Amino acid sequence: MKKKNIVSVIIGAVIIIIFAMLLFAFQVRYAQVAVVTTFDKPVRNIDQPGLYFKWPWPIQRVYKFDGRIQNIQDKFNETITRDNNDLILTIYAGWKISNPSTFYPKFAGSVPRATEILQGMLRNAKNAVVSSNTLSAFVNPDPRQLRFDEMEQKIQDSVQAQLSTNDYGIQLVFLGFKKIELPQSVTQSVFDRMKGERQVIISSEQNEGAKQATIIKSTADRIATETIANANATAAQIMGKGYAQAATVLPIFEKDPALANYLLRLDALQQALGQKTTLIFDERTPPFDLFTSIPTNAPHAAPAQ
Amino acid sequence: MNGHDHHDHDHEHEHEHEHEKPETQDAGSQALAEALGSSFTIVKIVMGLMVAGFIISCFFKVGPQEKAVILRFGKPVGQGEKALLGAGLHMRLPYPIDEIVRIPVAQIQQVTSDNGWYFTTPEQELSGEELPAGPDLNPQIDGFLLTSDTNIIHARATLAYHVADPLDYTFDFADASNAVLNVLDNALLYTAATFSADDALINARAQFQDAVQERATALLEEENLGVVVDYCTVDSIPPRQLTDIFNQVTIAREKRSETINQAVSYANQTTNNAIATAAGIINLAQSTEFNYVTNLVASANQFKDILPYYKQDPSLYIQQTFVSMVGGALTNVEDKWYLPQRADGKPRELRLLLNREPPGTNAAGF
Repeated sequence: MKKKNIVSVIIGAVIIIIFAMLLFAFQVRYAQVAVVTTFDKPVRNIDQPGLYFKWPWPIQRVYKFDGRIQNIQDKFNETITRDNNDLILTIYAGWKISNPSTFYPKFAGSVPRATEILQGMLRNAKNAVVSSNTLSAFVNPDPRQLRFDEMEQKIQDSVQAQLSTNDYGIQLVFLGFKKIELPQSVTQSVFDRMKGERQVIISSEQNEGAKQATIIKSTADRIATETIANANATAAQIMGKGYAQAATVLPIFEKDPALANYLLRLDALQQALGQKTTLIFDERTPPFDLFTSIPTNAPHAAPAQ
Repeated sequence: MNGHDHHDHDHEHEHEHEHEKPETQDAGSQALAEALGSSFTIVKIVMGLMVAGFIISCFFKVGPQEKAVILRFGKPVGQGEKALLGAGLHMRLPYPIDEIVRIPVAQIQQVTSDNGWYFTTPEQELSGEELPAGPDLNPQIDGFLLTSDTNIIHARATLAYHVADPLDYTFDFADASNAVLNVLDNALLYTAATFSADDALINARAQFQDAVQERATALLEEENLGVVVDYCTVDSIPPRQLTDIFNQVTIAREKRSETINQAVSYANQTTNNAIATAAGIINLAQSTEFNYVTNLVASANQFKDILPYYKQDPSLYIQQTFVSMVGGALTNVEDKWYLPQRADGKPRELRLLLNREPPGTNAAGF
């Protein structure tokens, strides 16, 4: 009987604790922020997760919000740059609730309402920054001339300043361009220009090809001529060396120039009388002079074939 | 205390009374008692199951592709890396004290930016039945990018990444993958603004892709999204309205390459021929020079050897060597003609037909 009473007491106590916790305690989850209101007046900011206590409703109420960074994208609108170019820009941003006790009363705790207000601020700041820059700040072959980061920072600073001034309890964490486009009517003229540029490129490619081919061929011809000319020069040098070397031998022949002359001519004649040669002699050429110098009964012989 | 004793006594007394007078209990009471007994048994079983379920719910499993964080009263248990539970079986306290948040980390995630792509649907792309291009682009529905030379191109980028810091990725961003997509949109936009249309489409496609990845990586780090980029692919094409003219440019470029290649081929052939000819000239010169010098030296040596014999009787020597040479030469000569002296002592007239006149030519040779 005692045991049963103890169990009943424990169960009763647990139930009471649970009810008490439901009435007096609340959890703020990681990545959440909360504001505690007393008779609808914000009295406490909570930006750290954990278990907290409050007076029960209707004295105090807790409003919890997502404390994480929310994505936002502004609406599509046309803006004119300083040099009168129409651009259609869209930007994205990341924002979060930095102060729930000011955020809650300003927007009645409504994130969509805050998003709407932010979109308006972003649009105004974007238009102001774009209209103070030229088109070359958005598109430029030189990355140093591009003002992307600078313009994004200016828009962010401008919006953040407004948020702080109005004490909206919102922090703009980052911001960037998402889309940069041209109006529909302009795209047609851009296409016409691009077609013209392509025609120039086609013509240029054709001429450039012919030009380069001519240069390559003429260069090759020149190199070939030079190579052969150099080879001829080298050959002449080689022959010159040969003649110079021969000159050292010539004094030997000076001992009897007649014999030397005879031997050289004999050698040349011997080389000249090779295969497939037709020789025509008369009887004065040795040894055919024997035909006339030796006595015979037939004074004139028939020509030998 | 006395009251309790009294109560216990009464209870025992009742039991005794039941044992003593079982016949007095009516059938209804007995049925009620049995029904209550059965209900208590069911309640006991249900409670037992609840206790078992309660105990079992204190254990949970974390898969190999994920990390888990225990939120105790909303606050992570542990700090930084220590708060992340890896694969395996873990314990927790029952809800609402503890809450488990699972975060996919190992698996590669992808976002695709089609802000710079014309209006189409995946179904149309797959079936190849895209709507024909109009004369212009409508920014409300068609995406495109402006290049540094103020031209228009279409480009679509896909960024693959994995979560490196699950706490940042999950608890700092309401929609982290959308934040990554915004970064990719910006990177594509920025990179296109620094590349010319020709570079982005033809000349430097790889550099364009690298630049998109570089910008996206830098922005992701700047915004502390807690992700690591695995790779980035970019597909860029000219506007469909200009497909024909871009094709013509491609053909012109190919023709240019072909013309240049032919010229290079000619140049290689010409220079190689020249090099070969030059080598021939030099080799010929070297061999001629060698032969000349060698023969001359040989002749000089021969001269030195012959000179003593020649001095003894020059005329006889000349006669002997000349006749010997002619004799030797005659053995090699193909035709030998002997023309005897005319009887009247006048020289013979010898006419040689060296070459026939080609047929069909006139006197002038044409």
